[in-house]
Amino acid sequence: MAHAQAKPVEGKIFTAPVIFLLHVAAVGLFFLIIRYMYGIGAVSNLTDHMPWGVWKIINVIVGAALVCGGYACAFTVYVFNQGRYHRFVRPALLLSLLGYSFAGFSLFYDVGRYWGLFNFLIPKYWQANSVLFEVGICVMSYIAILTLEIAPAIIEKFADMEGPVGISLNKFYRFLDRFLFLIISLGVLLPTMHQSGLGGLAVVMGQKISPLWQSPLVSLHHLVSCIAMGYGCVIVTEFVLTDEYRDRQYMHLLDKLATFMKNFMFVFFILRMSEVLRSGALPLAFHYDHISFSFWAEMILILLGIFYVRDENARKIPRNLFLGGLFTMVGGSLYRINVYIIGFQPFKGLSYFPSVPELFITMGMISLQLAIFAIIIKTFPIMEKGDHK
Amino acid sequence: MRKNSRRSFLKGVIGAGAGAVFSPFVSFKNAVAEKLKERREKDVGMLYDATKCIGCKACEVACKDTNNMPIEYDENHLWDAPRDLSSKTMTIIKLYKGENGEQSFIKRQCMHCVDPVCVSGCPTSALKKLENGVIAWDKDACCGCRYCQMGCPFSIPKYEFDAAYGKIVKCEMCSNNGLLAAGKTACSEACPTGALIFGKQKQLLKIARQRLYKHPEKYNGKIFGEFDSGGTGVIYLASVPFEKLGFPHLPEYSSARISEGIQHTIYHNMIAPILVYCGLALIAFKNIHMGKEKEE
Repeated sequence: MAHAQAKPVEGKIFTAPVIFLLHVAAVGLFFLIIRYMYGIGAVSNLTDHMPWGVWKIINVIVGAALVCGGYACAFTVYVFNQGRYHRFVRPALLLSLLGYSFAGFSLFYDVGRYWGLFNFLIPKYWQANSVLFEVGICVMSYIAILTLEIAPAIIEKFADMEGPVGISLNKFYRFLDRFLFLIISLGVLLPTMHQSGLGGLAVVMGQKISPLWQSPLVSLHHLVSCIAMGYGCVIVTEFVLTDEYRDRQYMHLLDKLATFMKNFMFVFFILRMSEVLRSGALPLAFHYDHISFSFWAEMILILLGIFYVRDENARKIPRNLFLGGLFTMVGGSLYRINVYIIGFQPFKGLSYFPSVPELFITMGMISLQLAIFAIIIKTFPIMEKGDHK
Repeated sequence: MRKNSRRSFLKGVIGAGAGAVFSPFVSFKNAVAEKLKERREKDVGMLYDATKCIGCKACEVACKDTNNMPIEYDENHLWDAPRDLSSKTMTIIKLYKGENGEQSFIKRQCMHCVDPVCVSGCPTSALKKLENGVIAWDKDACCGCRYCQMGCPFSIPKYEFDAAYGKIVKCEMCSNNGLLAAGKTACSEACPTGALIFGKQKQLLKIARQRLYKHPEKYNGKIFGEFDSGGTGVIYLASVPFEKLGFPHLPEYSSARISEGIQHTIYHNMIAPILVYCGLALIAFKNIHMGKEKEE
């Protein structure tokens, strides 16, 4: 296996940042208990006019897009046959698995009748016309596929086990290796379907979403930007976890990833701009209210992301790669928040800002996710040898 | 010459780009034109004529009474008539008073759309259009995702945010309490002036058109719900323009048509996803298994 060099990161598991993240998560979990006891309204600012808040938009829609690294990497390595990016695949897949699992988990406190979520699995309740149904089914299948994709890393840890368990684990490992191509191609198809679907959710909302964002092409916008955000996530993860970027060889790889990211973000920018011009919504961007402010903030973040990785010279400076990745992630996230929160205007003057407990639940879930990621890379062979800090 | 070829290349690229951007709209418009949903003979609805309404709120009381809906208190535990639709109030009479003295009552409730967005969006078939055109809610199917609230162009469905096990609340035209089976609704039965009448949608439309034709001076000239958002089961006549009465200006098709048009084009018999999957699997197989040999 190509992953033979992957090893757990050495060092203490519960470092100060991990403990801090776990504390934030604990506060979030406390508010979750209140949510389950007294209902959604007790902890959030959600109302009948603003039924989707930060839980669904940030934890689910933005969260799923930010961890598209697994999708972007699988695409690059296996479809475009760029094997040299292989070292990015496992950390990206792990982040994807965690991100998607937490997105799925978030639904269990965001939806009002969480026990009804299991109706997604009962054919009599299926509703094929619904974009949300398609997204739900695809995300569930994708979590299963991601588990299979990351399974070799878990098995490698227990590969030396004696007895029947060890033998069957090794058998399963070889089975996974043989049918990897079937798993990987599902791992590319499913995100393509549900990431576009996460945008497609906006279509039925019709005029309730500001024309600056509403469009029949909103699915395409989400799909293209999520790939760029995935590359951005891989780059930023590399910078946070390793110092190999000083090495010219890895620098070269990150440079290439940044080029892909830039290209996708550029296509996204052109698509968005041409759509705003075509629909005639541009005057809305000059109303100097919070909607137009948010629109320009999004555009500037996207352009900054492109600007930092604009050409070869700019990409030679590691800081630029990092900033390019970061701005792409933030810009893409703001785009999603703009579509579903800022741009969602069922009537004029609707304002929504999440309450403190609501924000703590959102941040707690993100913190828990990052803490688990930090713990897993120190326990399982995820990162390749030599790239540990 | 080189310049020329570059220019034509650029033209081609721009043309292709523009085509890619615009083609969804062209095909979408055709798709919409073909598939617009129509009123069926059996579909029932209501006609509310604001010019006949005296604002007595008998319909509100009857609705609360029949459906066992709670009274709405303010923060001092004093109760008053509700100000808007909520998870405790499924229908409401409001009064519009303009600056120039024009005024009109208006009843709000679920519109029971011909092509309902909530039904199209609901992932677990909790909202369904019944045989008689009524949009009903199934508590066993609902997962409380509130996509219906996000989608509804009239923002009608309400959720019980203050309850640990909240329900979606909206008018089900008394299909939930057995009155509809007897051929009536609580609110229309309670109406003393005939401002609200219950009947088959197509007949109600005829009545509304006759009223418009006989007394054009009494009305604003529009039957709200005849075509709005693909048509609604509850239709309205009023003297004051509907925008002033709180109705949004909607296109003549439901946004569910756009959404379903896109979905059905991409996922038509699942052919495209399956083909893409086969292609991806082939490429991945080649890259993983053939590539390996080269490495060794």
